[in-house]
Amino acid sequence: MSANLEHAEHHQPSGIMRWITTTNHKDIGTLYLFFSLLMFFIGGLMALVIRAELFEPGLQLVVPGFFNQMTTMHALIMIFGAVMPAFVGLANWQVPLMIGAPDMALPRLNNWSFWILPFAFTMMISTLFFEGGGPAAGWTLYPPLSLQGGNSMPFVIFSIHLLGLSSILGAINIIATILNMRAPGMTLMKMPMFVWTWLITAFLLIAAMPVLAGAITMLLTDRFFGTSFFTASGGGDPVLFQHIFWFFGHPEVYILILPAFGIISTILPTFSRKPLFGYDSMVYATASIALLSFIVWAHHMFTVGMPLAGELFFMFATMLIAVPTGVKVFNWVATMWRGSMTFETPMLFSIAFIVLFTIGGLSGLMLAIVPADFQYHDTYFVVAHFHYVLVPGAIFAIIAAVYYWLPKWTGKMYDEFLGKIHFWLTTIFVNVTFFPMHFVGLAGMPRRIPDYAVQFTDFNAIASVGAFGFGFAQVLFLYILYKALKDDVTVGEKAWDGAQGLEWTLSSPPPYHSFETPPKVE
Amino acid sequence: MNTKTKKTYYILVAFTIFMFSFSYMLVPLYDLFCDITGLNGKTNKVKAIVIEEPSERFIKIKFVSNVAQSAPVKFYPIEKEMTVQIGKIYNTKYLITNTSKTNMITTASPSVVPGEMSQYFRKIECFCFNHQEIKSNETKELGVQFMIDTEIPNDADSLILSYTMFDITEKNINKKVSLK
Repeated sequence: MSANLEHAEHHQPSGIMRWITTTNHKDIGTLYLFFSLLMFFIGGLMALVIRAELFEPGLQLVVPGFFNQMTTMHALIMIFGAVMPAFVGLANWQVPLMIGAPDMALPRLNNWSFWILPFAFTMMISTLFFEGGGPAAGWTLYPPLSLQGGNSMPFVIFSIHLLGLSSILGAINIIATILNMRAPGMTLMKMPMFVWTWLITAFLLIAAMPVLAGAITMLLTDRFFGTSFFTASGGGDPVLFQHIFWFFGHPEVYILILPAFGIISTILPTFSRKPLFGYDSMVYATASIALLSFIVWAHHMFTVGMPLAGELFFMFATMLIAVPTGVKVFNWVATMWRGSMTFETPMLFSIAFIVLFTIGGLSGLMLAIVPADFQYHDTYFVVAHFHYVLVPGAIFAIIAAVYYWLPKWTGKMYDEFLGKIHFWLTTIFVNVTFFPMHFVGLAGMPRRIPDYAVQFTDFNAIASVGAFGFGFAQVLFLYILYKALKDDVTVGEKAWDGAQGLEWTLSSPPPYHSFETPPKVE
Repeated sequence: MNTKTKKTYYILVAFTIFMFSFSYMLVPLYDLFCDITGLNGKTNKVKAIVIEEPSERFIKIKFVSNVAQSAPVKFYPIEKEMTVQIGKIYNTKYLITNTSKTNMITTASPSVVPGEMSQYFRKIECFCFNHQEIKSNETKELGVQFMIDTEIPNDADSLILSYTMFDITEKNINKKVSLK
């Protein structure tokens, strides 16, 4: 990267200090992406502990307490450590390039947003080595169980505070960049879809994360300062926590998927060689999903005992979300319709995203039906549902984005053959892992339990084999990245002939400081 | 930062702070919502008790007791079930025995099932949320005086009054001199 070196000669510290002090959006984007890759593997190892224990009934490898810590930490790490930082990393790299801005609007804040993360996760993961172990009450931290945990609880809460701070600052930065730093001529309705989805996601973040911060602060004061928000002995109500938590929690699931929608809406037109079908309706659909996400939270807690009117309201509001989501899925399919499609690795992941995410969406609709949910609640059916929307949803989109933009970021091309192998292994094993969970869930296997009745053995064994296969397929992904980074710079400005957008007008890799004079958008 | 960015930044920070406060505002909002709907079965509502002519209807009341987190107490109602005349005042008792070797402080939280009916369950006297100091091996009587409101809908044929007893000695050990 000659541009980097040239710049380093001027006033950039070299070595590790370059990364600690950097305010450059490309450096920070890279840091975010590497950090999220590391967390993806740590969280993945925890998932493998869970699947190894569930390979057969009975207790073999770990004690139940540790199993519960694994389910809790796996969720916290994958949500806050892998998926969210990966999206913020992609936003850091891509948003300024896509809107023709020289950098993020608040570069120092940007540096801080990232560097909070390693400290927060060091603290969170260190609780596993405490006496009594890490948090084991599930990532949802429901009281009264979470109030009865060991000494890890205040540390976990404080690290979630830090993670919230990090993502709120990141979101503020992204909004400030998108609203104030677009190139002349780029009106809001000309912005690339990825930028739009991130703008909306950022608003969700600053609306939802402070509510989580409030909820866990109440937990903390209940435990240590004698308040009674959720302790029944003082007149509090544990169900209140569930309401506040899911008021954050449901927008959170759209925080985890809207940027993925943006990525898919970027990749599909490139490899279909057609513009995105229904750009305007995509924007409005994204905005409606975001607004609806604030009035459906109680569908996570149908069984808690609500008045019938409440159950009906949350059921219908939840089902309403299928409408804008359906608009998006049909628009994607229409984008591919009669396009000159080619099937490079990013495109394969995007198509798999559409198919598999839709399966997750449909099981979500099943869960939205109140009487059915009374049966499905807290079973493996729920686990199958949210893994279908998060793994072949969010994670596939992130992998697709990395394959798609890696040539732009580095100027180096990944090995297409290995990329396709990676795709097929990942897609096959993701289904082997999560599809059987639908069946055991419908048959009544409860989630978050280290043991199960013998009739669930076969499907659990299949799921465990799938999980290990999925894990090894991601080691191949590491190798593909390593091989590409070792390669020479071979890519021109446009890595993909069908690609549209400002980022493809720059060299690959782009200069360390790009768009110092803003480009003109007609 | 230019002025435009600064303005965006301050607005967004203010919005963040608002949303944090909003999470606390949800607490009274939730209580209000529960008051209106009787959602969480809470019975501690302030409403003047008007002694009227008892109605001719009868209703079955079941008394239930729970002990939270296996606290070392025995806690149970003297009468498991009563059939009461609606609009008439009744008395009953719960018994609590401290089975541990140390003195303790307990408190109970009440709940009525079904939750929508909690507004008709009028407690004239109740030990809920009081702090009971119980010496080791001591047994105490905890009285409840109640009346079922005459406005209770006709389709209600039984109610459950449940108390959950919590050991709160640890939380209060510093405040209470008498325990030392």
